[in-house]
Amino acid sequence: MSERLGPDVAATIASAASAAVAESKIFPESAVSISQGKKSPPPDTPENTRVRSLVILSFWVVVITVGLPLWWITTAIYRAPLPLKEMQSWADGRACRAEFPLLIDVEALTLPDPEGLLKTVQHALDDANDFSAHHLRLRLSTNSSKVEDGEESVAATLRLSQGAAGSPHSYVLSPSSRAIDLFYSPSYNPTTLSAFVASTLQEIFAEEQQMISYLLASSAPAPSPSPSSGGGNGGNGVKVVNKVNTAEIARKMSRIVKYSPMYHLTFSLFTAAGDPSNWEIEEAVSEYLQPLLDALGGISGFTVDSQIQFYASLSSSVVPTWVPDSEKEEGEEGEEGEESASGRYILKKEDLSSFINSAEWPLVSITSYPAINFIIYIPAADQSPLVIPTSSTNAFLLPQWGGVMIHNPPAGSDNTHLTKEALKPALDIFATQLLSLLGAPTHPASLPIRLDSLTRQRSAELLVSASSTLGSLYRLTLALPSISIPSSVSTSVSSTLSSLTAACQELRHGRFGGALEEGRNAEEQAEKAFFEKSMVGQVYFPEEHKVAVYLPLMGPVGAPLLMAALKEISRLVRVWKASRLKK
Amino acid sequence: MRLLSWPSITQLLLAPLAVASASDYNDYSENLLLKSLPGNSILASFRFVSNGTFDSHHSVFPRSLAQILQQSQTKELHLKFTLGRWDAEQWGRQVWDGRTAGGTGVELWAWVEAADDSEADARWTTLNNALSGLFCASLNFIDSTRTIRPVMSFQPAGHHSPERLERLHLLHGTLPREPVCTENLTPFLKLLPCKGKAGISSLLDGHRLFDAQWQSMSIDVKPVCEESGKCQLQMEQTVDMVLDVERSLGKKDSPVPKPPPIEQLSCDQEKPYAGGDSCFPLSGVTDLPWSLSEMFGRPVRGSCPLAVVPTEEATHVCVNIAEKRSIFVSQGSEERKRSPELRCFTLHENLDFDIVLPELSPSTNLLLTPPPVYASRSLTGHGQERGGIQAVLNNPSSNSTVEFVYLESLPWFMKPYLHTLSATISGKDDGNIIQDIYYRPALDRKRGTQLEVRLRVPPGETVLLNYEFDKAVLRYTEYPPDANRGFDIAPAIISILDSSSQKSTFSIRTTSLLLSLPTPDFSMPYNVIILTSTVMALAFGSIFNILVRRFVGADEVIGGSLVSKIRGHVMAFVAKKRRAGGDKPKTE
Repeated sequence: MSERLGPDVAATIASAASAAVAESKIFPESAVSISQGKKSPPPDTPENTRVRSLVILSFWVVVITVGLPLWWITTAIYRAPLPLKEMQSWADGRACRAEFPLLIDVEALTLPDPEGLLKTVQHALDDANDFSAHHLRLRLSTNSSKVEDGEESVAATLRLSQGAAGSPHSYVLSPSSRAIDLFYSPSYNPTTLSAFVASTLQEIFAEEQQMISYLLASSAPAPSPSPSSGGGNGGNGVKVVNKVNTAEIARKMSRIVKYSPMYHLTFSLFTAAGDPSNWEIEEAVSEYLQPLLDALGGISGFTVDSQIQFYASLSSSVVPTWVPDSEKEEGEEGEEGEESASGRYILKKEDLSSFINSAEWPLVSITSYPAINFIIYIPAADQSPLVIPTSSTNAFLLPQWGGVMIHNPPAGSDNTHLTKEALKPALDIFATQLLSLLGAPTHPASLPIRLDSLTRQRSAELLVSASSTLGSLYRLTLALPSISIPSSVSTSVSSTLSSLTAACQELRHGRFGGALEEGRNAEEQAEKAFFEKSMVGQVYFPEEHKVAVYLPLMGPVGAPLLMAALKEISRLVRVWKASRLKK
Repeated sequence: MRLLSWPSITQLLLAPLAVASASDYNDYSENLLLKSLPGNSILASFRFVSNGTFDSHHSVFPRSLAQILQQSQTKELHLKFTLGRWDAEQWGRQVWDGRTAGGTGVELWAWVEAADDSEADARWTTLNNALSGLFCASLNFIDSTRTIRPVMSFQPAGHHSPERLERLHLLHGTLPREPVCTENLTPFLKLLPCKGKAGISSLLDGHRLFDAQWQSMSIDVKPVCEESGKCQLQMEQTVDMVLDVERSLGKKDSPVPKPPPIEQLSCDQEKPYAGGDSCFPLSGVTDLPWSLSEMFGRPVRGSCPLAVVPTEEATHVCVNIAEKRSIFVSQGSEERKRSPELRCFTLHENLDFDIVLPELSPSTNLLLTPPPVYASRSLTGHGQERGGIQAVLNNPSSNSTVEFVYLESLPWFMKPYLHTLSATISGKDDGNIIQDIYYRPALDRKRGTQLEVRLRVPPGETVLLNYEFDKAVLRYTEYPPDANRGFDIAPAIISILDSSSQKSTFSIRTTSLLLSLPTPDFSMPYNVIILTSTVMALAFGSIFNILVRRFVGADEVIGGSLVSKIRGHVMAFVAKKRRAGGDKPKTE
C-alpha cells in the first residue's frame, strides 16, 4: 500500500507533519506510519476530566444564576396585575344585570277599591313586559304623598279621578311635571280601567324601554333575554307598542352624541354675504334655550358661545337647483311674463350631507369636552329662497354633530339685524334637535319624564360603554404581551370596577341620579386606563431590533458554551454506558 | 417742498384707530398703504383692525382665536410670521416702528395670566398647541428650551389693570427655522370678516405674497380701554411686504423668470469692460410703470361692507409716492389728498378698484428716514468646537445718543462665556457702553440662554458687541431627522428705548444665523454594539477554550477534526491528478 502512494504523497504528509515536529518529536521516517494509524494521546487523568467538568459547570452556573436573571430584570416590562377575570365578566355583561325598576305612585282617592285595581294593573304590566330588566312598579300613595321612601325617585305620579259623564277613559300629561292625570269614565268597570291604565303606562315608557333594551342588547347579546323574542305571545293590545322597531331605534341611537358631563354649544350664523352683521343671539339663547339647559343641568352642563361668519360659501359640491313655482300657478299667472320672479332653490337630499363646508367654515372648538354646533345659514341674494323640500321647518340634523337651519330673510326687510323674535323659530328647532342629539325620547309630552328617561338611558349607556372599554383593555393586554402596564392603569381599572358595581347597585334600587354619577366616574376612569400614554410607548419596538442588538454578543459567546456543554454531556453518556456494560 | 417724514405718516394713519376705538364694540376697519421704495420696490402694508368683546359671543372678532385666548388665559398676544430680510440701508425705517415685523420664521410672545411660573408654562403650552393647529405652523415645538422670559425688552401694549399686571407672565418663543408659506396665509385670511373676498384683503394671494423680497404677517391682540373704563379686545392683523416691480411685472409675460435680452438691459456704459457682451446693470434709472392689478394679479374687489364707513381721516387705500409722479385711479373711488406725497382713496362698495402709475424718468425717490440703529450680526471663529458672535450696531444719527436693549435667545447647545462679552467703539471700551446686563444661563436640554444687554451708542458711532461660545455635543436622537444643514439661531431683538420712559419705542431684528455642530455618523450606535460585542466575545472565547480544551500532539488527535479530514481528501485528489498528468509524457 505505501509503495502505491509513491514519494509525492509521502513528502506531502511529511511536510504537513513537520510543523508539529518540534513538539511531538516525530521523526520524518515515521511519516508513513501516520497514514496507516494514529498514535493515541496519553490517557486523560481523571483529575483533568473532573476539573474540566467543573469549569464548564461553573460557567453555566454563572450564566444561569447571574446572567439570565440580570438580563431578565434589566429588560423586563412592568406589567401591573389586572383583575382580568372581572374585566372580562363586565365586558361580557355577566357581572351586572342592570335593572330599571320604575316606581309609580298612584293617587286614587275617589276609587272604591284602589288596591284591587293596582294588583290587576301590576299583573297586566308584568305579563305584558318582555324585557324584565325594565319594569314598572305601582305603589298606592298614602294621603300624605310627601313620604320619602329612602332615596328612591318616583318616576311618575298617576292621579286617578272621575271624568265627565259619558266620556271614555282618557289621560292628560302635564308638560312641566311628572303627574299623569287619568280620567276614568263614570261607568266604572275595573277590567277595562285596569287594561287602560296598563296600556297608558306602557305607552308612556315604551320608547325608553326600547332604547334601554337596545343599548343593553347591543353590548351583551348572550345573557339578557332577547328583546324581540317575547313579542308574539299574548294577543292583547298592550303588546303592540312594545314591539321593537330595531331599525328605527338604531337610527335614533346613531344620532346621539357620546355622553359627557359637559357640552359646548356653538351657535353660528353663516351668511353668504356681508349682512346681517349682528344678531341678538345672547338674548335669544337666554330667553328661549336657557330654561331647557337648566333642566338638563342634572345630566350634563353646557357652555355656550356664538359667532357670525360672513362671506361663507357652500362647498363646491353643493349646487342648489332652481325650481320655478308650481306649473299650475304659472299656467294661470304665466302671462305676466315674470318667469324668474317666483321660484325657489332646492337642496337635494345628497347635498345635505356635504352642506357643511368644513374646509372653510371655522367650526372647530378647542374645549376638552364635546362640542355641538348649531348653524343658521343665510343664503346669498341670488340663491334665495333656499329650501329643503323634505323639511317643513327648513332645517336638518346632523347625527352626533349638531343642527342646521336655513333662514331666508323675508324680502324687503332690514337685513342688517336679526332680532330675538326672528331667531325664535330657529332656537325652538335647535332645542328639539339638542334633545334628540342628547338622546331624550321624543314620545311623552311631559319634559320631566323625558329627562328622567334620559338619565336612565345615559346611565345604561355609561355602564355599557365603560364595560366595553374594560373589555377592550382586557383584549389589548392579552394581544400585546410586550406593552407595559403602569400601576396607574391598575388603579384606574379597580376604581372603574368599584364604580360599575356601585352604579349597578344604584340602578337596582332605583336611584338613577346616583347611578349616573357612578357611571360617569366609571367611564372616566376606564377611558383614563385605556388611553394611558406610557402604554403605547413600547408597542412599536419590534422583536427584530432586540435580536439585532443581542445577537453580536450572544452568538459568539453562546456557541463555545453550548458546544462545550454538549461535548461534556456526550462524554458523560459514554462513561455511563461503559459503566453499565461493565456490569 | 417739505418732505413728509415717516413718523408723521404713521400718525396720520393711526388717526383712524383712535376714531375706531371710540365707537361701538364689534367694529372693523382696514386700510392699505403703498409706498414706493428706491430701486423700483414697493412697500405694501395691509392693516386690519377688529374689535370684539370679552364674552363668548363674537361677530367680527374671530371665535377660534378668542376661544384659544380664553382657554389659555392669554391677555395679550403677539404672533409674527416673517420671511426675508428688511434691507434697512436701502429701504430705511421699517413700517409701524418695527412693531409688526418679527424675526425670520415665527416669533410669538404673550402675556399669560397665572398664579405662578409652572401654571404660566402649562398655559403657554396650551396656547402654543392651539395656535399651532389654527395657523398650521409648528408652534407646538416651542418648548421650554425655546422659551424665554424677557425682562427689559418688551412692555405690554394693551391696557391692563395694575392688579392684573402683577399676575401676568411674559413668555417669548421663536422658531427661526419655520418656513412661512401659503398654509399660514390661508388661516390668517380666515380670521378676517371679509375673508379675502371683498375689500383690500382680496389682493392677498399666496403667489404674490411669498414672492416678495421681504414679507411679514403679524397678529397682535390686546385689550383696549377708554378713559370711561369701557374695554374691548382689539386684534390688529397686518401684512407687510416689499415687492420688486420688475419681478412682478415679469410674471405677467411669463410665469417662469427669464433673463431679459441684452438689448433691454440698461447698462452702465462708463464701466471699462462695458461692451456688447458684458453689462453692469444700472438700476433706478427710471421708475417703472405699475398698477395694482399687475402687482397683485387682480384689482381690489369692492369694499368690505363690514368695515367702518370711511371718514375724512380714515380711508381705505393710501399711496405714498414722490409728488412729481402722477397717479390714475379707477372709477367710483374718492380721492383725498392729505399732503403732496400722501394720496388717499376710498373704495366703492361694488366696483373694482385699481391704481395705475405711469413711468417716470428720471427716477425720483422719497427721502428716506434712517432707522435709529443699523444692526447686523454674524458668526465668527472656525472649527467644530467653539465659535463667536459679533454684532455690529451703528447709530446713524448725528446728534442724539441711542439707548437700546439687545436680546439674544440662544439654544442650550450654544454655551456663551459671559466673561468674553465686550462692547467696543473703534477698539476701545470706555466702560460706558454697556449699561445693564440680564443673563439667565442655559440648563442642558431644559432651557436656553437668555441674554439682555442694555447699550448706549453715542451719535455717529459703531459699537461692536462680541462674545464667544462653546458648541455642545448633542445626543444622536437630538439631531433633526432630515438632512443636516446646521441649526438656526434665532434673530437678536433690538428694542430702542425712549430716553425718558425707558419703554421700547422701536424694534429691529437681525437675521438668523446658521450654526453647524459636529455631526456624527448616525449608524454609530449599532457599530459600537457590534464592535464591543466582538471584542468581548473574542476575549471570552479564548479564555474559555484555554480552560476547557485538552491539548494533545498533532499526531494524537482522535478522529481528527472535520477540516483536516476535508484537507486530506483534497490533497489526495490533487496528488492523483498531478500523477496522472505526470505519467502521460512518460508514456509518449
